Amino acid sequence: MTNAIETWDLRYRAGKSFELRDVALKVREGSIYGFLGPNGAGKTTTIKLLMGMLRADGGQIAVLGRKVPSDMPRVLAQVGYVPERPHLYPFLTVEQAINFHAAFFAGFDRPYADELLGGFNLPGEHRLSALSKGEMGKLHMLLVLAQRPRLLILDEPTDGLDPVVRRDVLSALLDFCSQGSTTVFISSHLVHELERICDWVGVLDRGRLLAELPMHAFKSGIKRIRVENPPSLIGDTPFVLVARETTTMDEIWVVRGWQAPMVQWFEGTGARVKEIVDLDLEEGFVELLRAARVPAA
Amino acid sequence: MFRQVLSQQWVSLRVAVLVFVVISFAVPLLTVVYGGGLADTDLPRVAMWLDGSERIGVLLPGIALMLGVFFGLGVWQPDQVGKHVYALALPVSRWRYSLLRFTAGALLLAAPVAALGVGSFVATWAVDLPSGVHAYPAQLTFRFALASLVCFAMMFALASATRRVALWLFGALGGMLLADLLLAAFGSSFDVTPTVIMALVMFPGPLSILTGRWALFDV
Repeated sequence: MTNAIETWDLRYRAGKSFELRDVALKVREGSIYGFLGPNGAGKTTTIKLLMGMLRADGGQIAVLGRKVPSDMPRVLAQVGYVPERPHLYPFLTVEQAINFHAAFFAGFDRPYADELLGGFNLPGEHRLSALSKGEMGKLHMLLVLAQRPRLLILDEPTDGLDPVVRRDVLSALLDFCSQGSTTVFISSHLVHELERICDWVGVLDRGRLLAELPMHAFKSGIKRIRVENPPSLIGDTPFVLVARETTTMDEIWVVRGWQAPMVQWFEGTGARVKEIVDLDLEEGFVELLRAARVPAA
Repeated sequence: MFRQVLSQQWVSLRVAVLVFVVISFAVPLLTVVYGGGLADTDLPRVAMWLDGSERIGVLLPGIALMLGVFFGLGVWQPDQVGKHVYALALPVSRWRYSLLRFTAGALLLAAPVAALGVGSFVATWAVDLPSGVHAYPAQLTFRFALASLVCFAMMFALASATRRVALWLFGALGGMLLADLLLAAFGSSFDVTPTVIMALVMFPGPLSILTGRWALFDV
């Protein structure tokens, strides 16, 4: 399977306080990839690098099989991008904004745009400056979906929207995805939102890609295990040890890639598994970040 | 694509376009405010009339400059507000996008230029010129168009520059002023800033088109 987005050893420094380090993304074509990370992790910076808006200090980027930024106009012709904050021209009306956008994209589907306009209840004659934040979010989504792009890059598209608008926007996105094989790269810090729609997930923190795996593997394989008499030294484990924390009685281990027969591994070391708790995506995400910030012993 | 860029710029700048159209149309007409029936007038009165109309003509390079500055900044303003994010996500190369913006802005300049042309011809038609005095409406309009375009192009280039380039320019300006202070402190009679300004406004400097006589009527 080919990758819609691929980066190799991507590096970018913004001032003294922030640096993207050796980010290697692989976003499979046709997938809905959730790009998770806390605020300030570098998600928007990574997206701007993918969009050719920033120049990387090192590494390579390929989007839809073309090099970024050297082949940018051809790449952008097939990419729908919703930025973190709306940047459309506020003095245009909704209709004028659609016409302006359509003029730049050969495959712009005007009937579909009109259908979405009705579906989103957007007033075509209103100026963008008069639209609410939710209406602006819907308009942005309308514009990129009507492009019929091969790749959608959405930078926190539902951030700050009320639940009703958020549901409308995500429903339109999922409807669109069900019609074809568009790849979606969606960044967010709202874990539950991505949990519902994504089939792959990448976690970024402090400029480093901590994990990249299928959503089902991320969700189902993360466990919190209470271990009695744990081994002090750990060799090869059949799972990924994310975090290890000592309590008064036992140790709490957070592991990824867990399967039931792996209990035997503990028994082989003389330890005993007292409790296994499933973690949801948000808990797994938090544990992953904690482990990355304080390395496991 | 161009039609949409032009339409977007028209929506953004239409009030300014209309204001400049009115001003550009009115200024040539002001030159005849001192009277129109001059065919049988004595020479001193004609000379006074020419002097008065020339003084009004002085407004024209100022209007051309303002037009260029306002439009040069205005065509980039919507993109600058959005930090160019929307424009950079459009599938056109940067030079082509700049060309679209420049051409659309230059086309909008045509409206005030045309208004000045119409105003000049109307003023010429309204005046009964004495022998030896000629009207130059076409030449004045052409000169106004060229001056506006030069100012527009310069401001367009400055406004499209990155923040780093803008800092370089301000740095250069500050450096010139500092050099003048140092030169004055050492008793030198050479001034950097006035020399640079003169190089810009004296022929063949780009702003030399704004200097000289801007008279609709002349001998």
